[in-house]
Amino acid sequence: MTDQAQSTPAPQQLLTRHGTGLIALGVLGLVLVLLGPLFLDRFTLNVLTRSMIYAMMAITVDLLWGYAGILTFGQSAFFGAGAYATALILTHVGGGAQNFALALVLSLVLPMGLAALVGWLSFYHKSTPLYASVISLVVPIVLTQAIFAGGSFTGSSSGLVGYPTMKLGAANYFRLAGVALILFAALSWVIVRSDAGRLLVAIRDNPLRAAYLGIRTQRVQILLMTALGGVAGIAGFLYANAGRIVAPEIAGFGFGTQMIVWTALGGRGTILGPAMGAIGIDYLGAQLSGAMPYLWQLIIGILFVVMILFMPRGLAGFIPRRRGGAPVPQLGALPDHMQQRDSAPLLSVSGMRKSYGDFVVLDGIDLEVRPGELVSVVGPNGAGKTTFLRCLSDGTETIEGRVLLSGQDIAGRPPEAVVALGVGRKFQVASVFETMTVAECLRLARVTQERPSLWRRAARITLPRAVLDILSLTGLDGKLSEPVSGLSHGMRQSLELAMVVAMQPRLILLDEPTAGLTKAERTLIGEVLIRLTRDLGYAAVLIEHDLDFVRQISKRIVVLHQGRLVMDGPVDAVVNSDLVRSIYSGVAHD
Amino acid sequence: MTENKLTIDGLVSGYGALDILQGVVLALKRGEILALMGRNGMGKTTLLKTLMGLIRTRGGTIALDGRPVAGKPPSWLLANGVGYAPQELPLFQDLSIRDNLRLALRHDRDLPRALEHVSCSFPFLLDRLDQKTGTLSGGEQKMLILSRAMMCEPDLLLIDEISEGVQPSVVQRIAAALRAEQERRGVSILLVEQNLAFALDVADRWAVMKLGRIVDGGACEAASRQTVLNHLSI
Amino acid sequence: MALLLDIATTAALLFIVAAGLFVIFGVLKIINFAHAAWLTIGAYTTVLATGMGLDPWLSLPLALLVGGLLGALTEVAIVRPLYRRPLDAILATWGLGVVIVQLITLGFGRDMQMPPALMGGTVNMLGTPYSSYRLFLLAAAVVLGVVFVLVLERTRLGLNAQAVIMNETLARALGMNTGRVRMITFMLGSAIAAVAGVLLTPLSSVDPSMGISWLIGAFMLVMVSGTSVAALALACLCFGAAQVLVSTWVSPILGSVTVAVLCAVMLRLHPKGFARD
Repeated sequence: MTDQAQSTPAPQQLLTRHGTGLIALGVLGLVLVLLGPLFLDRFTLNVLTRSMIYAMMAITVDLLWGYAGILTFGQSAFFGAGAYATALILTHVGGGAQNFALALVLSLVLPMGLAALVGWLSFYHKSTPLYASVISLVVPIVLTQAIFAGGSFTGSSSGLVGYPTMKLGAANYFRLAGVALILFAALSWVIVRSDAGRLLVAIRDNPLRAAYLGIRTQRVQILLMTALGGVAGIAGFLYANAGRIVAPEIAGFGFGTQMIVWTALGGRGTILGPAMGAIGIDYLGAQLSGAMPYLWQLIIGILFVVMILFMPRGLAGFIPRRRGGAPVPQLGALPDHMQQRDSAPLLSVSGMRKSYGDFVVLDGIDLEVRPGELVSVVGPNGAGKTTFLRCLSDGTETIEGRVLLSGQDIAGRPPEAVVALGVGRKFQVASVFETMTVAECLRLARVTQERPSLWRRAARITLPRAVLDILSLTGLDGKLSEPVSGLSHGMRQSLELAMVVAMQPRLILLDEPTAGLTKAERTLIGEVLIRLTRDLGYAAVLIEHDLDFVRQISKRIVVLHQGRLVMDGPVDAVVNSDLVRSIYSGVAHD
Repeated sequence: MTENKLTIDGLVSGYGALDILQGVVLALKRGEILALMGRNGMGKTTLLKTLMGLIRTRGGTIALDGRPVAGKPPSWLLANGVGYAPQELPLFQDLSIRDNLRLALRHDRDLPRALEHVSCSFPFLLDRLDQKTGTLSGGEQKMLILSRAMMCEPDLLLIDEISEGVQPSVVQRIAAALRAEQERRGVSILLVEQNLAFALDVADRWAVMKLGRIVDGGACEAASRQTVLNHLSI
Repeated sequence: MALLLDIATTAALLFIVAAGLFVIFGVLKIINFAHAAWLTIGAYTTVLATGMGLDPWLSLPLALLVGGLLGALTEVAIVRPLYRRPLDAILATWGLGVVIVQLITLGFGRDMQMPPALMGGTVNMLGTPYSSYRLFLLAAAVVLGVVFVLVLERTRLGLNAQAVIMNETLARALGMNTGRVRMITFMLGSAIAAVAGVLLTPLSSVDPSMGISWLIGAFMLVMVSGTSVAALALACLCFGAAQVLVSTWVSPILGSVTVAVLCAVMLRLHPKGFARD
C-alpha cells in the first residue's frame, strides 16, 4: 500500500459533495449580490452593503478565534486604521484616481504593519492566549485615543465626513462589497481546509506539540494576524468609501467585541456562520433599532450569554457536522535515511545543574551520546529524569553547564530551534492532536520538511520507511482517517512515536514510551527502537522504569538518583549492581 | 457490620480516555495495615485519589464499614473518619505549619484538640507552629503531612509514599508513629509505598499492583521480600 | 504639592476601582468583564437612593447589598459552568455586562445623571486647597487595602481563599468546599465593585456606559499584580503617577491610556508584572 502511483489529483479534492454544495451556494450568492440592487430599496442596499463589510470582519475574527484560538477584541483597530487612512488621504490630499489608489495601498499596508507589531507583542515564547487577548484590548483603545487627540486632522470625536469618495453609486457599492465578501469567504474556506489551515488548528489545540514538531508557532500566528490585519484594512477602505463617514467608534474596542458577538452567534469555527451572523444581526438591528433601540441590544446580549454557556458552536451548531468527507490520503515511502556514523558525540552534556530556588533537581550531569547509541535513563520517581529531558530539548530552560548538539550550544534556543538541530521528543503522556485524524497528525509531523499547501490537502503523505513500519506493525495504517480522540492509549503512544520519527531527527528523546502499554505493544516499540538505532544510526535517550524492557533493547544504562548521575555503563553491570538494587528496594535513601 | 473496614470491588477509574484502574479488588480489615506496592504508573496514587473522591469512579464499588461510599466528596469522607496523606504537592509551602493544620479542620475551635494529638507522635511541630512550611526539610514535611492526616483521629488512613526521599532515621520515626496509631486506636491503614523495607516492616499484609489491577498479595513475613522484589522486576 | 496629591488620590481611585476585579481574578482566575456593569450599578444605586430622598452615604451599604446579591446570582448561573473555559468566561461576563447596561438604559434613559455629591468643599493641605472628597478617597483606599490584608491573613475565610489560590486540588483534598469559597469570593468582588461605583459618582459622569472607561485600566492593573495586594497597590501608585504626569504635561487624552499601555509593555518585558514569584 505504500508505493502506489500518485493518484487523486488535487482539484478533485475541492469537489467533494460538501464542496460542490458550497460552490453552488457561492455562485448563488454572487448572482444575488449582482442582481440585488434591481429589487432592493436604497435604505436596504446601504444597510446590506455595510453588513457585508462587517461580515468580512466577522470572518477575520473567526479565522483568528475559531480556527487559530486567538480571542481578539482588536480587529476593529485594523479596520479603523484602514478606514482612517482612506478618509485622511481623501480629506487632506483630495480625490482623483491616483489618490484612491494611494488610499487603497495605505489602507492595506498600514494595518498590516500595525498588525505585525501587535503580533510581535502578543506572541513570543511562553506567551499565553490570555496575554494576546489583553493586547488586543489595548490596541483599539490606544488607537481611538490617538484619533481623539488628533484634533481637526483626524476630526477628533466627530470623525471625518464630506471627503470625496469613489463615485460608484449605492448599487455598485453593494455589488463590490458582496463580491469582496464572497471572494474572501471562498478563499478562507479553501485555506482552512488546506494543510496550512490544519496547521493553524494544530497550533491552537496543542502548541507545545506543534513547537516540538519544529513549527515556529509564533511566526505562524504573527503572519496570520498580519494578513488578516490587511484584510481588515481593505474592509475599512470599502467602508470609508461606501459609508462616506468615519468616526472613532469604528476603531474602538466596543466594535471589536461586536465582531465577537457576530462570530459567536453565527458559530465560530465555520466560515459561513460568522458571515451570516454579522449580516443577520446588523441588518435586523438596523431594521429594528429605530423602533426599540435598547431592547434589540438587550436581546442580542442575552442571546450571546446563552450561546456562550450552552451552545459554544453558535447557530451553526444546529447544522449537523459532516465528518470524514475528505478522502483517505495515501502513504508513500521515503528511502531510509542512514545517519552519519562518525565517532563525534551527537549530544554532549557537561556539568548540567538545574534548580528551582533552593531545590536542586539535577546536579553535575555529564553525558555523551553518539550516533547509533540507545541510552536508557533509569531511576526512582523524583530523580529528575523528565526534567533532564526537558533541559535537553528546550534551550530556554535556565541551567548551569552546557548542552551541545552536534557541537552547537542549545542555550537560549526555544524547542522549535532545538528541533531544527535534529532533536525529536516524545512526551510521557502521548502528546498528539486530539481533534485531528491520524493522517493529519502524520502530515503535520512533516511540515518542516515539506511546506504545507495553502490550497489543498495533500493526497499523498510521504514518510520515512521506519514510520511506515510503525504504522503497519500497530495497525495505525488502517485507521488513517479516524480521529485521534477515538484511539486507545497504546495507539496514541505509537502515533506520537511515529510522528517523532517522521521528523527524521538525529536524536530521539523518549519519556517512558511504554507506560501503560500491553506486553505485545511494548515488544513492538522495542523492536522499532532497536531498528532505528542499531540499523539506521539514530541516537536515542530513553527514560524507562521497566528494567526488563531496558535490558532487551539497550546496551548502555545511566542511573539518575536524587538529581545525580550515579552510574553509567553496560546493561548487565548496572542492572545487577548493588547500588541499583538498593535504590529500587528503598535501602539507599541516604 | 462486616469485618472489613474498606472493601473495594471491581473499581475502575482514570483520566480522559484512559482507565488507570482496571478492576481493583482489595479488602482492608479493621485495625490492619496493608502495604500496596508496585512500580510507577501502575495506578497506586490513582487508587487513593479515587478512594478520596478526588477522581470520579467509573465502575465497581467502594464500601466503608459495609456502606457504599463511591461518589462521596472528600469533605464527607474526611468527616466520616477517613484521613489522607497525599503525595503530590501535599502542603501549602507559603503558609505556616499552623495554617496548614488549620486548613484540614472544619472549624478553628478544633485546633487545640488536634494539636494535642499531633504532640503524641511529632511534638517538634508544636514548637515551630509559626514557621513557614516551605522552610522545613523534606523529612519534616513528610511528618507534617502525616500529622495532618492523623490529627482528626480517623479510623482509616490512606497514605501515599510517605517515606519517599526521607532519610532512614525519619522513616523509623514514621514507622513508629504508624504502629502506635494502630495499637492505640486500632486504626486501619492503606499504605502505598515504594520503600520495600519500610513497607514490609510496618505492614501486616502486602499487595502488588500492576497495570491497574491487584496481581498478588500475602501476609508480611520473611519470604515476602523476595516475592515482592520479583514483582518489581529486579 | 497639588501634583503629589493628584498622584496619591489617582492611585487611590485606581485601587478602589480595581479591587473588586482583583479579588475575583486572584481566587477564581476568572476575568470578570461584568466588572464595568457592577461599577455602573453602584453608581445608579446612588441615583436611585438619592432620588428617593435618602442620604447619599446610605447608597454605600445599599450598593454593597445589591452588588453582593447580583454577584452570587452571576456566579451560580454564568460563571460556574465556565471555570474550565476561562476565555469563554470573559465573553459571557462581557455579554452580561451588555445586558445590564441595556437594562439600565431602558430604566433610566441614556442621559447623564447628576446625583448629589457625597462630600463637597476643599481642605487646605500645606497651603494648597485640595478637594476634600479626593482626600477621603485616599483614606478609603488605605482602609480597603488594610482590610484586604487583615481578612486575607487573619480570618478563616482569608485562609481558605489563600488555600484555593495556592493549590485548589489540595484544598479540595482537605475537605474544603471550594465551590462555596468561589461563590463568596465572587460575591465580595462584585459588592466591592458596586461600592466603587458609588464612590465614583462625584468624579465621573454617571451614564449607562460609564463603567467601560474604567474597565480596561482596572483589568490591566490586575494583570500586572497577580495575587498580591501589595503589588496591586504598587502598580496603582506607579501607573497612577504616570497617568497624572502624562495628563499634566502631554495630553489628558493620552493620559487616559497611559495605564493600559504601560501595563501591556510591562507584561511583555516581564510577564510576572509586580508579582514577586
